[in-house]
Amino acid sequence: METRSQIRARFFVRIWTAFVLVAIYLPILCGALAGLTKGRYFAFPVKMFSGEWWGKTLESFEIQTLVQNSLLIAFIVTLVSVFLAFFGALAFARYDWKGRRLYQKAILLPVFFPQPVLGLALLLWFNALGINPSWQTAVVAHLVWIVPVVTLVIAIQVYSFDPTLEEAARDLGASRWFILREVTLPILWPGIWSGALFAFLLSWGNFPLSLYTAGVDSTIPKWLYSKMVAGYTPMVPALGTMSTLSAAALLLTGGLIGILVRRRREQA
Amino acid sequence: MTLATAAAIEATPVPEGAGHVATKPVLQLVGVKKVFGEFAAVDGINVDFKEGEFVSIVGPSGSGKTTLLRMLAGMESPSEGYITLRGNLINDVPADQRPTCLVFQSLALFPHKTVGENIEFPLKVRKMPPAERKERALELMRMVRLPESYYGKNVMRCSGGEKQRVALARAFAYDPDVLFFDEPLSALDYKLKKALEKELKDLHRESGKTFVYITHSLEEAMVMSDRVGVMSRGRIAQIGTPEEIYTKPVNRFVAEFFGEVNSFEVTERVGGWTTADGTVLTVSGVPDGVSGKATVIVRPETMRFVPAGSSADNTISGVIYNEYSLGSRMQYQVHAGERIFLVEASRTASGGLSAGDAVTIGWDAADAIVVGD
Repeated sequence: METRSQIRARFFVRIWTAFVLVAIYLPILCGALAGLTKGRYFAFPVKMFSGEWWGKTLESFEIQTLVQNSLLIAFIVTLVSVFLAFFGALAFARYDWKGRRLYQKAILLPVFFPQPVLGLALLLWFNALGINPSWQTAVVAHLVWIVPVVTLVIAIQVYSFDPTLEEAARDLGASRWFILREVTLPILWPGIWSGALFAFLLSWGNFPLSLYTAGVDSTIPKWLYSKMVAGYTPMVPALGTMSTLSAAALLLTGGLIGILVRRRREQA
Repeated sequence: MTLATAAAIEATPVPEGAGHVATKPVLQLVGVKKVFGEFAAVDGINVDFKEGEFVSIVGPSGSGKTTLLRMLAGMESPSEGYITLRGNLINDVPADQRPTCLVFQSLALFPHKTVGENIEFPLKVRKMPPAERKERALELMRMVRLPESYYGKNVMRCSGGEKQRVALARAFAYDPDVLFFDEPLSALDYKLKKALEKELKDLHRESGKTFVYITHSLEEAMVMSDRVGVMSRGRIAQIGTPEEIYTKPVNRFVAEFFGEVNSFEVTERVGGWTTADGTVLTVSGVPDGVSGKATVIVRPETMRFVPAGSSADNTISGVIYNEYSLGSRMQYQVHAGERIFLVEASRTASGGLSAGDAVTIGWDAADAIVVGD
């Protein structure tokens, strides 16, 4: 039997949860609705709905270029950051070496650095080196911020890794490469996978670093911002919604693959 | 030493299976030391492990037995001394290039692999074709008494005892000359542990391999081993057959490691070996080289009640303070003045005794063990 106070507590927990969910998702929903308006200007509530701006967005050549840029940057950032972060995470959590504590602190710094300041610093640095900012420099800028994050994500998995497994494999005659392929990588795979998803999504949605360091090349967040400042059309919320939906779809697929892999493993 | 008498041997169960051991040393340790900073974890060890032998190294935690094992398996290299395998120096040969295999305390099974894949791991390292691998794995599973249906089972879904078997099969798949064990049975419940101890000994007999087993439990070591080495502070205090360790411990540490004992510190006087309170003990079989001071050790199981009309070489009067049931036997705490003794007796032999009863306890000289300090 539930007591009165338990029932009341449960009621408040539910109300609070609903409030938080509404506070988070209602603005996103409003943005999405703004892209479905028939009118030219941003007005709320939406008077007449239409898919016109979605169609225009999908057809636009400019936006195709934006998507290509954003995808290219995010893919390269994902590949490079997972590669660097995997070994970085091993150094972070697996091996004991002189200077490890300093390394653990140093790698956290870029995460705490405000991104606009980091972007500006990187831009100055590129200028000093005589490098013209473009999507390639944006990749470097994204890496500075994303590699530490991915390192931490993978390091969490590495902390739960039992080093005696590697010792046992070695004792059974396996070479270092064989151990990495057959023992370490497969066990750390979930961490690497979530690290990769993080890397992609953080790069895909990153605005401040791209603003400073992508030069004349534009990315989706950068375009959204510039159109809000000048030349608003409902393509802005439409593209924003698409971008959000594709990120959510990627996350969902990633999670689903994770679940499927785990289930197949456990069924055996 | 001349201490072993007919009575002492009769009182000790002689372990079976000590006869089939060949005498060729497969693994030799000469003056092996391992120093960490100022601390010598292993401080000069000399042992020969004979081909096909089952040797246990026992010691309390911190005695250096794990460090010793890690050196034997190739995960540490000795600071001093020599380790040879079939005559070849292997001090610095890494673990993957030694024909030895360690069964870890945690077992270290690969959690993402099935039972079959775990067992096949060392075969895959050697690039054996998959069909052949499977055949060998199934053969090994039969050997360790794992049902064939477990081949494709997730190893993390196996019970504790089944995991032990998988770890064993995996070690055997490597086909090592020597198998090392870092107390793999310690996490199991008592009943299963007892059963697996015997199975391990059977496996040892069937495979003919050399086993080196590290444990903190002398009881476990006694059940399985041809020889037992007792370690203390980085050294081997004594190594010998379980019978020798039990009946002829070389010092108090070894004697007490076996369990509770009654001990008397005695000095040699004109009348004989005398305790601090002036009692002269009847003592036999004093080892060579012991003089002046010694410790007389009487195990609770050789101490007995001496009823009126019978006699023993040494007797003491006291009062039963408390009794403890050990199953088929009873243990009594007997207070005699300042001193406290433990006496063990079968339930029938001690029938009717209870706390508060005045008793005479005693032992025969032949049942006592004399060690130097």
